[in-house]
Amino acid sequence: MTKEMRAFRRLHSAATATSVAGSDSLARLLAAAGRGDQAAFGMLYDELAGLVHGIVLRVVRDPSQAEEVTQEVFVELWRLAPRYEESRGSVKSWTATLAHRRAIDRVRSEQASRNRMERDAAGRPGEVESVGDIVETSLDNARVRRALGSLTPSQREAVELAYFGGHTYREVAVLLQVPEGTVKSRIRDGMIRLRDELGASS
Amino acid sequence: MSTNLDIHHLAAAYALDALDARERAVFEAHYPACVICSHDVREFRATLAAMGEASATPPPADLRARLMQEIGETRQLSPLLPGPVAHLAARRRPSALVLAAAAAVLLLIGLASFAFGRSSNDDRTFADALDHVLAQPDARLIELTATDGTGGRVQLAWSATAHQAALLADGLAPAGEGMAYELWLIDAGGPAPMRLLDPAADGSLRRTLTVDGTPVQWGITIEPRGGSPAPTGDVIFLGAA
Repeated sequence: MTKEMRAFRRLHSAATATSVAGSDSLARLLAAAGRGDQAAFGMLYDELAGLVHGIVLRVVRDPSQAEEVTQEVFVELWRLAPRYEESRGSVKSWTATLAHRRAIDRVRSEQASRNRMERDAAGRPGEVESVGDIVETSLDNARVRRALGSLTPSQREAVELAYFGGHTYREVAVLLQVPEGTVKSRIRDGMIRLRDELGASS
Repeated sequence: MSTNLDIHHLAAAYALDALDARERAVFEAHYPACVICSHDVREFRATLAAMGEASATPPPADLRARLMQEIGETRQLSPLLPGPVAHLAARRRPSALVLAAAAAVLLLIGLASFAFGRSSNDDRTFADALDHVLAQPDARLIELTATDGTGGRVQLAWSATAHQAALLADGLAPAGEGMAYELWLIDAGGPAPMRLLDPAADGSLRRTLTVDGTPVQWGITIEPRGGSPAPTGDVIFLGAA
């Protein structure tokens, strides 16, 4: 990716959360990578490394483990590149899904999961708040901030405990001491609201 | 079954990776063929990617070099073959007219029922069967490990008391001309043939199985299309029962 293109994309990402600019070129890079083009894959890495590491770091939290997982995600992206289909969503969307799935696999071993439940239940709500804070302070994107702000506190809490905390909705129900059906509704309503606010299309 | 009423509401939790293994397996059996759920999953994932972008964090600079070295030594998976029409053509070589008619019929009945091939299962009955198996107190969800690194994922839900299993696979490469995948129940007496498996063109496979016996392991080999009484090919997937 040229410097000009990067500058162009930065400019646009300030205006649109889904960053339509560059999505064609990402698909082209991934297609080339799928034919074994390592240079194209390197450029794809330059474009997507921040997205992947950002997601992984927020779920895994430990920086050295997060680095390992980020590497695993990109190796997986390389292996799967020949199988990418646009019907599954944009390259960015697909990559973010792989990244989150890998991060979850890392933290959801039984012991790690128990520790997380204890941590998140043991009266450290600041932990959860801080996740939101990281998002809000580091982002230069008003739309995402507004979208998150449009959720009710309980919707936002449920979505963040699930996505960043890596908990299943059943675990979230235990943590919040509310019925599972309530958590399911909060997650669903929260995601629908986020989607509508961000106007995200696949 | 309650799953059918609730299943459309799981897309958000699924996109967040917030389902447990059982619900995830049930939902994954359901959503690719469900217009509403697959649309929701795509949109929720795009939403999460947009949020992820806003919190992008560069990894340490030295990661790039290590990664590039690793991919230089990592084999890529084969691409999946194009849609069901090509699959049909490769298998039965019908005339262009028959092909066109088949394509029209396929469009009408939807990809879902085709994906389940000659079995009469559709995704819903498979999801029901899977849910039934997983609801048993002794249900086990087993991931079969690919032993030769060719990729693909095979999971098997099994209940001894229900004498039933449900097999889910994705990303399977074509078995090859005149060949088929064969599932083996491996017990103290050795491997017994369970079922020939014919993945759809997109590499997916959903099968319910009747299981009599006490497997110690499950294995999959590639055999001549008619099947073999005992495995002749290498074991390409293996999992402890």
